Amino acid sequence: MDAVFVSKLKTLLDALAEKMDVYVPAKASKHLVFTKYDPGSSPAVEFNAVRTCTPVKEFLFPLRETAATMQTQAQVPALKAFAVVGLKDCDVRSIAILDKVFAEDDFKDALYVARREKMFIVSSDCTEPAQTCFCALFEGKGFTEKGFDLNISPIKGGFIVDIGSRKGHEFVERNSGLFADVPAALLEERDANRAAVQQQLERQSAEFIPSEPLQRILERTQDSEIFAQLAKDCIECQACTRVCPTCHCFYLYDGKQQDYFTKMKIWDSCMRFGYAMVAGGANPNKVLGERMKHRLMHKFVYFLERYGVNMCVGCGRCIDADAGGIDLRQVLKKLGEEARLQKTERAK
Amino acid sequence: MNGNLYQPISGRIIDIIDESPTIKSFVVEAESPFKFATGQFIELTLPGVGEAPFTPSSSPKQTEQMEITIMKAGRVTGLLHECSPGQMVGIRGPFGNGYPVNGFAGKEIYIVGGGVGLAPIRSLFLTLVDRIKDFKKVVCRFGARTPDDFIYKKALFGPWQKINGVDIKLTVDKGDGQWTGNVGVVTTILNANDVDVKNAVAIVCGPPIMMKYATIKLLEFKFAPDTIYLSMEKNMSCGIGKCGHCMLGKYYVCKDGPVFTYEQIRKYPKIWD
Repeated sequence: MDAVFVSKLKTLLDALAEKMDVYVPAKASKHLVFTKYDPGSSPAVEFNAVRTCTPVKEFLFPLRETAATMQTQAQVPALKAFAVVGLKDCDVRSIAILDKVFAEDDFKDALYVARREKMFIVSSDCTEPAQTCFCALFEGKGFTEKGFDLNISPIKGGFIVDIGSRKGHEFVERNSGLFADVPAALLEERDANRAAVQQQLERQSAEFIPSEPLQRILERTQDSEIFAQLAKDCIECQACTRVCPTCHCFYLYDGKQQDYFTKMKIWDSCMRFGYAMVAGGANPNKVLGERMKHRLMHKFVYFLERYGVNMCVGCGRCIDADAGGIDLRQVLKKLGEEARLQKTERAK
Repeated sequence: MNGNLYQPISGRIIDIIDESPTIKSFVVEAESPFKFATGQFIELTLPGVGEAPFTPSSSPKQTEQMEITIMKAGRVTGLLHECSPGQMVGIRGPFGNGYPVNGFAGKEIYIVGGGVGLAPIRSLFLTLVDRIKDFKKVVCRFGARTPDDFIYKKALFGPWQKINGVDIKLTVDKGDGQWTGNVGVVTTILNANDVDVKNAVAIVCGPPIMMKYATIKLLEFKFAPDTIYLSMEKNMSCGIGKCGHCMLGKYYVCKDGPVFTYEQIRKYPKIWD
């Protein structure tokens, strides 16, 4: 893989901003959220050491968008190319998961695909993972190896910029004057940094490594009391599904503009009481604990059966966001213990 | 499939037929001929109000106009019931798999239906009758709450019963002065001798509780789980297996269904809820 060196992050961002809208992580109170980069007035750009608080899905699958209109000739404005900077390995892997649903399925979501084609991904290494990061349980890393256009690794005196795609290559070619060659010593330094972060990630997930595949654990703990206990802590705020980079439920909402009709596509949450309810009133998931179980089954059983991967990247955002103090790692651990107990009892 | 699958094509309600106190059939003309396979469903938009899934009750042969039979159940269906001919609507689809009619050739077809569940069944029935010689026989066992609650009364009480190769029996939960037929839920008119189970498929469509007990009965008759076809009712919204509302285990009812064999879904909890 080709790599180049740049001493200032701003140099790279300004070059990106020449042809694209650029979004960078920026502090909003104490949280990192994506903010539009303005080369003229954005303050000094800081490298984000950890993932943002908000998920990258909002760029491809916005909170609300117009999915269709009726009785209007209004043209949808053409999408502009955009770059998202500072995505971590968990974010990049979450895009691969959403791609499976919206872009690679036999039914494609034209809205998603249009945005995806315009997206330029600038990922970056994690240098200070959060305590809640548990990507190591899901083959995640503190750095990303595929799925990006460019990847940034902070290093003494600047940044190594890896090129991960044809689009990334063209960008570097076009701006070759801005970049220098990477001294071999810096690559070694980067490898050492990455290894240290990886060790930390693995250390903090060690106690949560399941003793057997999560799919099997969940299939065996369908009748567990744990879900009812969890429901006591859950305050039904739906924050877990909002910040989750892979949760992608939505509803279609018909509305009226002044002189035409719209169908909006809006994020939904399987934690909502009426989520699966039909017009006649039947509702398979009336009970909160059942909804929580369904969410885990979707993530670790059904999605896996359908698409071959878990619908979780271990970013830990749901843990940070959970107002009821529910920690997905602990939940999976408890379920694992229960599954193991069942096994031992059956063996007796 | 490409293009914006959330974009409806426009259509117009051209006629409305009262079927029962709570059910009406809407004759809809789409802006261009609309093709579907029997058992597939559409999303019908009442512009500015909402969208809901319905399986057309007309024959797929009829592409110029389609009939959609709708029970007043919620907000969208309630407002649809207040519409008059001329009303503009949107149509998305067709979605889902439909009934594997070709696979039924040479077999006896045992159709168990109740209430507004007769809507998809009507489309299937018309499709089967069109090529009735391909099937050994078509046996229908339909139920409704009262005689007045039957939909398609004219066809059901008359011409359908006279078709060669078709055997129809009806029942009501509660009779009235004129009713001379069976009184009782639909399972009371199911009989192990109605069909040759070894060479039959069963089709069940109706309220969940009826589907549950009909399926139990069919299993007692020794129908194999993969010969019982169930039309599942879930909260289908996007129609293309993404939005998540209609998940039934790993399946999206909208994309992998709405017709499932009992074999496919038996292992999942709460399929009848």
